[in-house]
Amino acid sequence: MRILDELGKRIIFFDGGMGTMLQQKGLAAGELPELWNLTHPELITEIQAQYCAAGADIIKTNTFGANEIKLSECGHSVEEIITAAVQIAKKAAAGTNALVAMDIGPTGKLMKPLGDLAFEKAYAVFSQAAAAGEKAGADLILIETMSDTYECKAAVLAAKQNTKLPVFVTVIVDEKGKLLTGGDIASAVALLEGLGVDALGLNCGFGPEQMKKLLPQLMSCCSVPVIINPNAGLPHSIGGETVFDVKPAEFSAAMKEITQGGAWIIGGCCGTTPAHISATVQLCRDIQPVPQEQKHLTVVSSFAKAVSFGEKPVLIGERINPTGKSRLKQALRDNDMDYLLREGITQQQNGAHILDVNVGLPEIDEPALLQRAVTEIQSVVDLPLQIDTSDTTAMEAAMRIYNGKPLINSVNGKEESMRAIFPLVKRYGGVVIALTLDEDGIPTTAKGRFAIAEKIVKTAAEYGIDKKDIIVDTLAMTISAGQENAAVTLNAVRMIRENLGVHTSLGVSNISFGLPQREHINAAFFTMALQNGLSVAIVNPNSAAMMDAYFAYCALSGADNQCMDYIGRYSGQKADSAPPSGELSLNAAVVKGLKDSARAAAEKLLETEEPLHIINTQMIPALDQVGKDFEQGVLFLPQLLMSAEAAKSAFEVIRGKMSGKGEQVKKEKIILATVKGDVHDIGKNIVKVLLENYSYDLIDLGRDVSPEKVVEAAEKDGVKLVGLSALMTTTVTNMEETIRQLHARLPDCKVMVGGAVLTPEYAKQIHADSYSKDAMGAVHYAQKLFSGNESH
Amino acid sequence: MTDIKEILRYLGYRGKPGDEQVLKSIDSCMEELSRAVTPRSLSHSVEVTFTDNAVCLDSLKIESNDLIGHLDGCGEAILFAATLGTQADFLLERTSKIDMSRAVVLQACAAAMVESYCDDCEREISAEAAKRGLFLRPRYSPGYGDFSIRHQHDLLRILDAQKKIGLTVTDGCMLAPSKSVTAVIGLTSEKTSCHIAKCMGCKSLNCPFRKD
Repeated sequence: MRILDELGKRIIFFDGGMGTMLQQKGLAAGELPELWNLTHPELITEIQAQYCAAGADIIKTNTFGANEIKLSECGHSVEEIITAAVQIAKKAAAGTNALVAMDIGPTGKLMKPLGDLAFEKAYAVFSQAAAAGEKAGADLILIETMSDTYECKAAVLAAKQNTKLPVFVTVIVDEKGKLLTGGDIASAVALLEGLGVDALGLNCGFGPEQMKKLLPQLMSCCSVPVIINPNAGLPHSIGGETVFDVKPAEFSAAMKEITQGGAWIIGGCCGTTPAHISATVQLCRDIQPVPQEQKHLTVVSSFAKAVSFGEKPVLIGERINPTGKSRLKQALRDNDMDYLLREGITQQQNGAHILDVNVGLPEIDEPALLQRAVTEIQSVVDLPLQIDTSDTTAMEAAMRIYNGKPLINSVNGKEESMRAIFPLVKRYGGVVIALTLDEDGIPTTAKGRFAIAEKIVKTAAEYGIDKKDIIVDTLAMTISAGQENAAVTLNAVRMIRENLGVHTSLGVSNISFGLPQREHINAAFFTMALQNGLSVAIVNPNSAAMMDAYFAYCALSGADNQCMDYIGRYSGQKADSAPPSGELSLNAAVVKGLKDSARAAAEKLLETEEPLHIINTQMIPALDQVGKDFEQGVLFLPQLLMSAEAAKSAFEVIRGKMSGKGEQVKKEKIILATVKGDVHDIGKNIVKVLLENYSYDLIDLGRDVSPEKVVEAAEKDGVKLVGLSALMTTTVTNMEETIRQLHARLPDCKVMVGGAVLTPEYAKQIHADSYSKDAMGAVHYAQKLFSGNESH
Repeated sequence: MTDIKEILRYLGYRGKPGDEQVLKSIDSCMEELSRAVTPRSLSHSVEVTFTDNAVCLDSLKIESNDLIGHLDGCGEAILFAATLGTQADFLLERTSKIDMSRAVVLQACAAAMVESYCDDCEREISAEAAKRGLFLRPRYSPGYGDFSIRHQHDLLRILDAQKKIGLTVTDGCMLAPSKSVTAVIGLTSEKTSCHIAKCMGCKSLNCPFRKD
């Protein structure tokens, strides 16, 4: 039987639970079920043979946890166990038509940055398992019980790139339809269809009744065959033991409804037995599969949510792009990711649906930086991202590690561009922005641009990419160079939307280049473009004029149901939100921790005073006072940090003025890092905020940093002070090693340490130069160390 | 209900009352957290036996005098795990990029929230045990006293915690997601259990969070 040929012709049946069956036969909690492939092969064969006899078309190998991570200490290799498991299943299936699915479950680790499993490590672990399964003779791969889209992506890529087998995937969700890592069904489907899985669905978690309720949600967004493998009910605990109590008759009746609801492949998970499967086969085998509609949805996703195009215009925030932004260029050169992250969060708060990420600067390693930017932005923003680069190596690097189905910017009508980009879209999934230009340049007519769009859509199809995954950008060009430009672009938008049936996009603000007061033109053009059918616009969400145009258009066009968004945004809004009063002195504003007042006071002072004078007479005394009050227990950490944030916002204004005059306040460089193995860094971040207030030049290496990386960074910049934090007794050894390497390599470099488990004695024992009990301690040590070197 | 005093204690207030600003911030952080997270928990009953220098929870052997002392008189224990999930960590990370002051308050709120969630779970376990005439000892976690933190791995494996509630442990024995708890809860027929011992029974005398 060739499984892919059978799909849709008749209902296909998976087998049921294995782990729960083994527990009944004596498998202890916490024991590795995979070892039973070696110790009790006959038992496994017996269970699987029962499933075959019950009518299962596909039996799963007993390899749920057969990966290098879970088997690391069992004394057997992954290959040995998987080979045995596949052979056992094939033996059980012998004489029947049943196929053997190589079963792959999660690694048991949480992915970085929240956990410590790197994406490429997960990919390697899954690659090994998938390849071993194919080699041993499995007929397909089932990746199941995935609760994290990112880990799931690693597994699917591994299976598809290392084997030729069909790949089925089922994820586990809660009753609200959410994955454990927060994603919804639509986002998981977008990701998995983008990666090109052959079938997908849900397993485990709860029983068929609950899954039945989630099925419509799944069917509404899914275009590939759907799999439903529920438990025998919701697990509950009786006397400390987990029990599943939906009986075969009840189970199969619900499965019948699930089949009628559109699932093509059904079976069971925890608690189900050959009796459940047998009853289900009896009841469902003669049901004709419901034809699976192609949904033609244009959709991108993050780990948390999906954004689909068409219902309502979509806004892409354009601020993370260095073109014309000197502050961002500086941040990229300084590796100052926090600046990028704040830009991202602000755009989300202001209403962006997707964020553009472009870090292209001539002098940087773009593949590495784009990968880092994407990873870090995804750790603080849950919107889908648009990966924007002209460097295909950087594009592939970022698409690979992106958690979700990205928007890609861009491909164009040139042969070379399509040849480079389409294979990436096919491999990693994504929706790609297609620019209407080719070898002959940008056509001056709407018809010409339409023709290029048509060519791109046709060529994409040759690569197996549906037009739903293409969004055409008809290129807004400034009307200051040719007044017909707006009309050509808009006509092309309408033609493409109406006649080619694909979505369109524009970088709206290009229309006004070279004109004064550009926002007036931009906002009007934006509205015109929306009226012509524009689906997505790349805009500055921090611009009130653009957002006003957007909300007004949605209200007028009916895209904003009952004008609720419009009302929500504008009703009750004060005509002008009271500007921070300049009444407080800068010193008082910092002491009280009032950010806006501090900034306003600094701006006012700068009109009459020199920046350095302001720092010395207002900022430093205020910070010193707050620091002292903190140490004396008069005020506490949240207040100390409020003052620090207020000082920071004042410093930004002051520094802006200084750099305008070519002056510098930056003092000595200090490196901060959380040691290898430690994935929490809130303490380190507190220290960072305070040290920055005292104008030190902070190099933040982040968390889980290897000793080598710390030494390398310290050496590169000639850094004389390194601050390390460790939270756990288990990671203090890595701190000790980092100190050892630093002292050996850079005898002049001092190391200060802090963290929950450290004490002055412990710090001494691991040869730290200083122990800080809190953030102010770190400030004092830095001041003492660098005193006399430089004054403010 | 999460206790404001606990949150202030985590923030280093050492029994002093919170000022208006911090109390407002706590309110708003609690609201944001409650919207973002779905706490989940697991428990599994094991038999407790003792050898000379170890205690066995079913087949898991743990060499720890403190745990032996803690489970003294118990024939059964509950292995317990709870987590606020990855959303709490995401929120903390995001907040720390825009407002460190709020981030520390949020972190304290999350820590207090997971503890109070554990207390809620424990009440259910306690009610269930009471039906069998058993009483609960306080939660005792890997990392307390000489109960090695390396046993996090064992507890999570036995509970199948990754699959069931998404709780994992890093190579450095940190729980991930971070706002999580694992514990052993002894069950005993003696009514000598005390709930306050949780903090005072700990040997970290210099801990800044110690309840005086």
